[in-house]
Amino acid sequence: MNRRLLASLGIVALSALLMACPKKPPKTNAEDMTTKTTTVAPQPTDITAPATSKPVADKTPDPLAGDLQNVNTYVQAQGLVGDVFFDYDRAELKPEARERLAKNAQWLNANPQFLVALEGHCDERGTNEYNLALGDRRAGAARDYLQSLGVNTGRLKTISYGEERPFCTEHDESCFSQNRRAHFMITGRANAG
Amino acid sequence: MNRHLAPLLLVAAFAALPIGAQTQPAPAPTPTQTPSAPPAAATAPKQDLVLILNGNQRPLLKLAFPALSGGATLTAGASAAAQELEQALRDDLDASRIFAIQGPAELGSLTLSGDATKDYEQYASLGNEVLLVGEFKEEEGKLVLEGRIQDLKSGQSILGKRYRGEYSVARRMAHTFADEIVLYFTGKRGVALTSIAFYSDRDGAKEIYLMDADGKNQRRITAHKSISMSPTWSPKGDQIAYVSFFDGGPSIYLVDIASGAKRALVADGPLNISPSFSSDGKQIAFARSLSGNTEIFAADADGKNMRQLTHSPGIDANPSWSPSGREIAFTSNRSGNPHIYIMDAEGTNVRRITFEGEYNDGAAWRPDGTAIAYATRHGNSFELAITDVVSLQSREITSGPGSKEAPSFSPDGRRIVYESSAGGSRQIWTIGADGTGPRALTQGSNNMGPDWSAYPPN
Repeated sequence: MNRRLLASLGIVALSALLMACPKKPPKTNAEDMTTKTTTVAPQPTDITAPATSKPVADKTPDPLAGDLQNVNTYVQAQGLVGDVFFDYDRAELKPEARERLAKNAQWLNANPQFLVALEGHCDERGTNEYNLALGDRRAGAARDYLQSLGVNTGRLKTISYGEERPFCTEHDESCFSQNRRAHFMITGRANAG
Repeated sequence: MNRHLAPLLLVAAFAALPIGAQTQPAPAPTPTQTPSAPPAAATAPKQDLVLILNGNQRPLLKLAFPALSGGATLTAGASAAAQELEQALRDDLDASRIFAIQGPAELGSLTLSGDATKDYEQYASLGNEVLLVGEFKEEEGKLVLEGRIQDLKSGQSILGKRYRGEYSVARRMAHTFADEIVLYFTGKRGVALTSIAFYSDRDGAKEIYLMDADGKNQRRITAHKSISMSPTWSPKGDQIAYVSFFDGGPSIYLVDIASGAKRALVADGPLNISPSFSSDGKQIAFARSLSGNTEIFAADADGKNMRQLTHSPGIDANPSWSPSGREIAFTSNRSGNPHIYIMDAEGTNVRRITFEGEYNDGAAWRPDGTAIAYATRHGNSFELAITDVVSLQSREITSGPGSKEAPSFSPDGRRIVYESSAGGSRQIWTIGADGTGPRALTQGSNNMGPDWSAYPPN
């Protein structure tokens, strides 16, 4: 719990820093430099101060409560949910993919409020059209295995991108292997009754 | 020389009656603003496929095409239009895969006398069999081209045409003349007035685009700001079915080209892809998945009356309706790897037609229905191949750098448009169906998934 708390505080602090980035690059003009430093510096401390000065557990923002983009970043960074990878031209789940899906299933079953898109992706070495079908099969294989582990597939939606939305665009195996995947994306929350 | 001239004389003999009579007084070409009706006499050689599978080739006809005359007398606007027309005509004839052309550069060494008979000998001395000459004029603010083709051996004028139009239709005048010339020599109208649909990421998102058959006049027809791909022409050329992700998973949409109006055709379920119209335009085949297993489906062209045609545990994808309407080619990995299959349009009588290679996809019917082009994989890239659908003899028609996929025949069956990564990025190319004369039609960004239209309605 403490580690999770610290990690979530870290994410809050990091996102605060990112949001506080000055929109314009600092000017090189010497006169402006002095005023620039005085205006920029206080911003991060102002915003991060409350977070670090109030380490009260019950006031900590729940990392799963906020914006879905942050939830996705959080669950992937924490290893709670991860993508699975495939061999060339194949849609069969490898042993490491099954291990990964078992962890995903554990988290999904513990957090039934989330709706998930399962994206099927392919490397560029197939044809555009056939890869759409292959990506669908990869997403489907992952979905079927999650179902066998008790995940309610009503929460899962498959979508194949074929080779149209690669994660990596170099034309070599280091990229190809990254692009042959079923990618997990939390897309919404079920309407709790 | 005589051997090369033989096909010309043969065809000329075929067509000389309807056209020769019309154009016998060559110096006064027939006044036409639009192309005259094609002659009914000439029919396409039946042995085209044999020629293709044997590696070609009807020998290219050697055409002398000196600079068109009269340009110096034109006003500035007409002169610019005339230059555009002449370049378009040269490109069209070169792309047609019928002619080996000697242009002004190759003919520059000749010392012409102005005496027609002696000049024909001069052109023929460089190996040319026919001569294309033409003159620009200006009438009532319009550009006029009078063009004719001479047989250099007999000295006879074998085709004469006159075109007149606004400067803005100069390219269209060139395409019309080029198509007439191709029709005369082959019995089949040329394809310079047809169009090609494709998808491109040039504007950031992947959108659907159209262009003329020579790559000019490129224009975007979707603005979904998503992934839009797999455009396919309706047989009448008035609509395009395509796939887009803008509303979630890949679904099939229809756009009316004239109005730009779009509507969903098949948009339920996680995956509806790869549309292909039946030849009468009344039905559409596509690949569809509900649970991680794509199958081939068909529906009426309005998306209703959907029915499943394949039932295999493997992938069935990328259908292509045959020109006769009676069959559908598709890709299936039911034998282990992706291969091309054909079935009757009702889903029965499935038979495999490719046995070479480890991964074949992208079946495209030749318009006469006797052959199918497809992409076949070697290592990390694809080459294009053509197979006879009866003998199942196949032959690869491309080689060299880059991966080539997504073939689609021109409506005369003489050329194939495809996607190639030969230059690094993915671009649209055309090549003769015999594997000669590859030409890039697009540059920059990525341009993919081309589909060649049918002939425009007359």
